[in-house]
Parts: sequence; structure tokens; C-alpha cells
Amino acid sequence: MQRHAVCVTEGMSLNRVGEQTGNALTWLARREEAIASNLANADTPGYKTRDVENPGDFSSVFATSLSAQEVPNLVSRNDGNNVSLDREARLLAENNMKFNLASQLLRDELKNVRSAIEEGRSS
Amino acid sequence: MSLFTAISVSASGMDAQRTRAELITENLANAETTRTPDGGPYRRKDAVFAAAPAADSFADVMSSLSSSGGPEGVAVSNIVTDDRDPDRRYMPGHPDADADGYVAFPRINPAEEMVDLMNASRSYQANVAAISSVKDMINRSLELFR
Repeated sequence: MQRHAVCVTEGMSLNRVGEQTGNALTWLARREEAIASNLANADTPGYKTRDVENPGDFSSVFATSLSAQEVPNLVSRNDGNNVSLDREARLLAENNMKFNLASQLLRDELKNVRSAIEEGRSS
Repeated sequence: MSLFTAISVSASGMDAQRTRAELITENLANAETTRTPDGGPYRRKDAVFAAAPAADSFADVMSSLSSSGGPEGVAVSNIVTDDRDPDRRYMPGHPDADADGYVAFPRINPAEEMVDLMNASRSYQANVAAISSVKDMINRSLELFR
């Protein structure tokens, strides 16, 4: 994903939308990893739920801001674990839909760039 | 770190939950077992889970050492045996009865085991759902090339 995002950034510096969508896809992939960790550790004593926050600004690549952090204010069970299956199921669905949206946007952007190239060729 | 890491994290979860389900079925099957190779009745077993960093490659291991917050899988760190006293039932005709006519049976509550089994099964399903979601995302990314 990282390499992919860099590719998009370098290849289409004239294309801000494509660049930002690529960064958003990177964020969503990181977030999916955090959700997978939470689900895998749903029964691990002492494990705390973690999440990758929305960096808010997708215009620059942000390796440091994309690390998973513990989520505050969640209720822990007796074994010190605070993973809620409902929360993770919701995030999983949400993340998937956002990824679909972002990849569709990127596809449309790439289509636009391609059509611009084709047009230039035919004249 | 990539979407494939998320798949191996979920796979570790499936593996751990399957081990747990295996132990639970073993407990249920041996709920009335009075003889074991170690002597005495069967003793209930349970899996202890611990978080383990998910790493596919050397680079992943290096980055997980330098920064916290990498994806974490799960592993069965220990299998504990229940050391509570066995359940003593008065059955003088039983071949394993002691001098007073009591037989030591495993202290296993089938209802408790069934609840644990359902829990393990639900957690397994949650991991499968995560894998299919990641698969979906990977396919979406591949479609960008078309």
C-alpha cells in the first residue's frame, strides 16, 4: 500500500485528488490491520482495543501519524480486555465501504487521466 | 505491513480459537473419564491467549521493534490444567471406587463448556469476517489496474 501511494504521488503531482485518495486508501488499510488485531485478540486477557485515527488531512504522506493507538474510554471486562465485538463489526463494515468509495474515486480519476492521454494522441 | 498482514493476524486468531474449541470438545468428551495415564480422573484443560506481534518479513520485525502500535496477532501461550479437587460421587459398585465407595469424576460443567464453545465459535466467525473484508479490499485495489 505504501509503495502504491508513493507511486500515485509521484506519477500524478498534477492530480491532487488522486494523490489524496491514495493516502486515504493507505489510512484505511492501516485501520483494517488494527481492526483485525482487535478481532484476533477479542479473548486475550489484558489486551486493549487500538485504532488508527483519521489524520484529517490527506494531502501529505504521514507515516508517523498512521500508527495504531489505544482507544480511550472503553469499558474493560474482568480480564482487562476491552474489545467490543459490536464496535469492531461496525468498524469493519464502515472501513470496507469507505475503501470501496475511495478506490472507486481513484479509478474514476485514473480513467480521467487516461482519457486525457487518449484525446491528446488522437489529435 | 500491508493488507496481507491483516490476513495473517486474522489467521492467527482463527488458529487460537480453533485450539480453544478443540480443548473444549476434549473436555466434553472426557466429562465422565475416571482413568487417565497420569492416574486419577481427567482434568479440565483451557487455553491461555497472549498477543503476539504479527510479522511477515524481517523488515516488519524491525519496524515493530522500533515503533509501537503495529498489528498484533494472537497465540496460545499456555494450556492450563484445572487443579481443583475432583467431583466425588458415591458409587460403591464402580471399579474405580475407593475404600469408602466414592469415585473421583472430573469437575466439568457441560453448560459452562457449551457457552465457551459458542464463544470460541463466534470469535472464529469474527476473524473469518475480517479476512473476507480484507480480501474484498485487496480485490478492489487490484481493480485499479483494469
